Amino acid sequence: MMLSVLKRLLRSAVIVLIVTFATFSLMFGNGPGIARAILGYQATEGDVQRKVVQLGLDRPLLVQYGDWLGNAVTGNLGESFFTGQTVTSALATRVPVTLTLVVLTMILTIIISVLLGVAAAVYGGWLDRALQFVAVLGAAAPSFIIAIGLVFAFAIAVRIFPATGYVSPDISLGGWLLSVTLPVISLLVGSVANAASQFRGAVLDVLSRDFVRTLRARGIPGSHIIFRHVLRNAGGPGLTVLSLQTLGLVGGAIFVELVFALPGIGQLANLSTQNGDVPMAMGPVVVTIIIVLVVNFIGDFANTMLNPKARTR
Amino acid sequence: MRRTRRRALVALAAPLALSLAALTGCTSGGQAGGNTGGNAKDTLTLGLTADIQGWDPGVQPTYQGWGADAVWDSLLRCGPTGEPSASLADKWEFSQDQRTATLHIREGVKFSDGTPVDSAAVKANAEYYATAGGASSRWAGITVETPDAQTVKISWPAANPLLALRMCESKIATPASIAEGKFEAPIGSGPYTLDTSATTGGSVYTFVKNDSFWDSASFPYKKVVLKVLESETASINALKTQQINGSLITTATYEEAKASGLALETLKANTTRLLITDHLGEKIPALGSVDVRRAMNMVFDKDAIAEKLYLGRATPAYQIFREGSNAYIADMKDPYPFNVDEAKSLMAKAGFSDGFTLQIPTMQGQGHEKLMPYISQQLALINIKVEEVPLSGPNAISELLSGKFPVPLWQLGNYGESLQDISDYTLKDGIWNVSHQADAKIDELWNTILTGTEAERKQAQQDVNRYITDQAWFVPMAYPEHFYATTAGVEVSQVSDFSGLHPLLRDFK
Repeated sequence: MMLSVLKRLLRSAVIVLIVTFATFSLMFGNGPGIARAILGYQATEGDVQRKVVQLGLDRPLLVQYGDWLGNAVTGNLGESFFTGQTVTSALATRVPVTLTLVVLTMILTIIISVLLGVAAAVYGGWLDRALQFVAVLGAAAPSFIIAIGLVFAFAIAVRIFPATGYVSPDISLGGWLLSVTLPVISLLVGSVANAASQFRGAVLDVLSRDFVRTLRARGIPGSHIIFRHVLRNAGGPGLTVLSLQTLGLVGGAIFVELVFALPGIGQLANLSTQNGDVPMAMGPVVVTIIIVLVVNFIGDFANTMLNPKARTR
Repeated sequence: MRRTRRRALVALAAPLALSLAALTGCTSGGQAGGNTGGNAKDTLTLGLTADIQGWDPGVQPTYQGWGADAVWDSLLRCGPTGEPSASLADKWEFSQDQRTATLHIREGVKFSDGTPVDSAAVKANAEYYATAGGASSRWAGITVETPDAQTVKISWPAANPLLALRMCESKIATPASIAEGKFEAPIGSGPYTLDTSATTGGSVYTFVKNDSFWDSASFPYKKVVLKVLESETASINALKTQQINGSLITTATYEEAKASGLALETLKANTTRLLITDHLGEKIPALGSVDVRRAMNMVFDKDAIAEKLYLGRATPAYQIFREGSNAYIADMKDPYPFNVDEAKSLMAKAGFSDGFTLQIPTMQGQGHEKLMPYISQQLALINIKVEEVPLSGPNAISELLSGKFPVPLWQLGNYGESLQDISDYTLKDGIWNVSHQADAKIDELWNTILTGTEAERKQAQQDVNRYITDQAWFVPMAYPEHFYATTAGVEVSQVSDFSGLHPLLRDFK
């Protein structure tokens, strides 16, 4: 077990190195462009060259990356080229916003999609057809379109929720709930649509197996069979889909953050990459890698707990 | 069996528990990014379409510079056409040779850290601008004298007819922050101070009133909040629900804003134009011919551009300068009326009836997607084949200004003080004269501007306008309208920004 964890940590470290180096390399070699973006169009070539040297952007790629990595392992992710704000302080305010969206959406996705998926698989009929229709509709509608519609309906036409902005729960729990409700629903529609279909398929698959027929033949109540046996067997594929969904949500959150003007890491990554703000762009990259690794770990852990065969592999 | 069930429960509960832990653990450090908008005279909440790019006083953009205007004071204030009035300097004088500004600094003014704003502080700032780069490069080569604690003399290495604008653009920060070279939080003597506890970088900036400011009455709001709303959809939604009191909007949301009862200030600060900078034909020989440049002017129907492309939210432009500025010629008729046949004749006369290929750079957010199909189509009528070159990322501006593309298409600001336009667009070292080619006539007229009487200077500016129009250095197309939307209870007294881009902080009443 310990060896397995160590192997996984080693693999994770390699992944972190590869992704951060790849990102750094893509932004490398653009020193004058970055300096010009900082100084503005009125800067002279001399100003630009001085700025390039001041920021150390004239040094070889490996030296710059080595510097960044050396500082990063000590918790120092550097400062923005543009604002001087430390990357860690920017992440401290922005990561919770994105995590709020992703985590709340996933919790609700798990609950709703399991219930819908099981109900559609077990009862079939109109419920199943309705779920499949709504699933296609939900998966086809982009989250930002849903977001715009929700703002119009519930923030402008009927002023229940704020149209923009984020309120931290330590300032106002009610304000926090109001500020995240519409963004979470925007993300939830597509997420549930996909996950519920997957759960439905997985449950249907398990329901057709021999052991279920045997359990039924032994007179065990249907609810008992569904929630104690079928769901556990169907959980594996469902969890895999959910972990992939979580990673997709991090990307989808960028658009929702834009519509609701939420200060999350999506916007930070987008703008800092466009500007060539290398240290600030690397911050969200590191956070995203950590999210990916943690989600994968949780997914695998949950799978091994559900499925003994997975533990022995 | 029981152990298996327990494992299953753990498996299902683990993701939920970890998720909740992450959520509650991480959000405790967060700050309110939202704001419930402003009660007039209490809080003024404005939308920013782009984030504040830090607090270095040497590289502050004027566009949406409300944060900078809140925390720093300038040496002088400029009106809509660049006329100076008192600010930190209560008396000032520009030398006859237009090289030296002598300023008397208002007595008793202090920075928010309690240190005095005196001539030494102004000297430290001016000398910093000279080396900071960016817009401050206009201060390069200056020398500063401080005859006494309240008097400062700033001299330029050559005559500079734009001394007043330089004084108005200045942002006076504490000498200590400049010496330190780190500008994490601004310290100035402006009408407000940054409340860092209610500020989340990249999202919300909160400023509280500095009651000891020398002109506190001009800033009626106790608090100013700037919210970063990069999406116009988010801006218009925030305006409609009064989460913000004011924001720049475009024609895309004009009708929606109007229908929602928002007050709209119309701004005409730009001219859409092609800049034909290769007047000598060094990169594209055909552009060296005035007939070719005139032909390029004649294939565009300016009325149609204003009416169709800008949906009536623009007026046709026949010159590049702003109405009311010294260089603007009020009675100028369209010098190159839409006439494709005449344009073809001019191309043939110049010996370029087969045309040539022209690369025009495009960038997102500049309205190019709307303009370029029409421009390509019209220039094709005289066999000029347009190749669009999309520019993006941090290199875009460098490439645009590199001279690699001798005919950029841009909606450029036209200042209330037309001298700045002449300097930027026509002089050899002008930033937007991207091919940087000298012209004897322009040099002669600029010399008159530097040395002539007031009347001669004004006349010379109009002569510049006539000359560049005759030589067809530009293809002016339209003065597009932009809008500043405000909610009920917030009045914009005037747009005193000499760039004409938006109201300044002191304009909100």
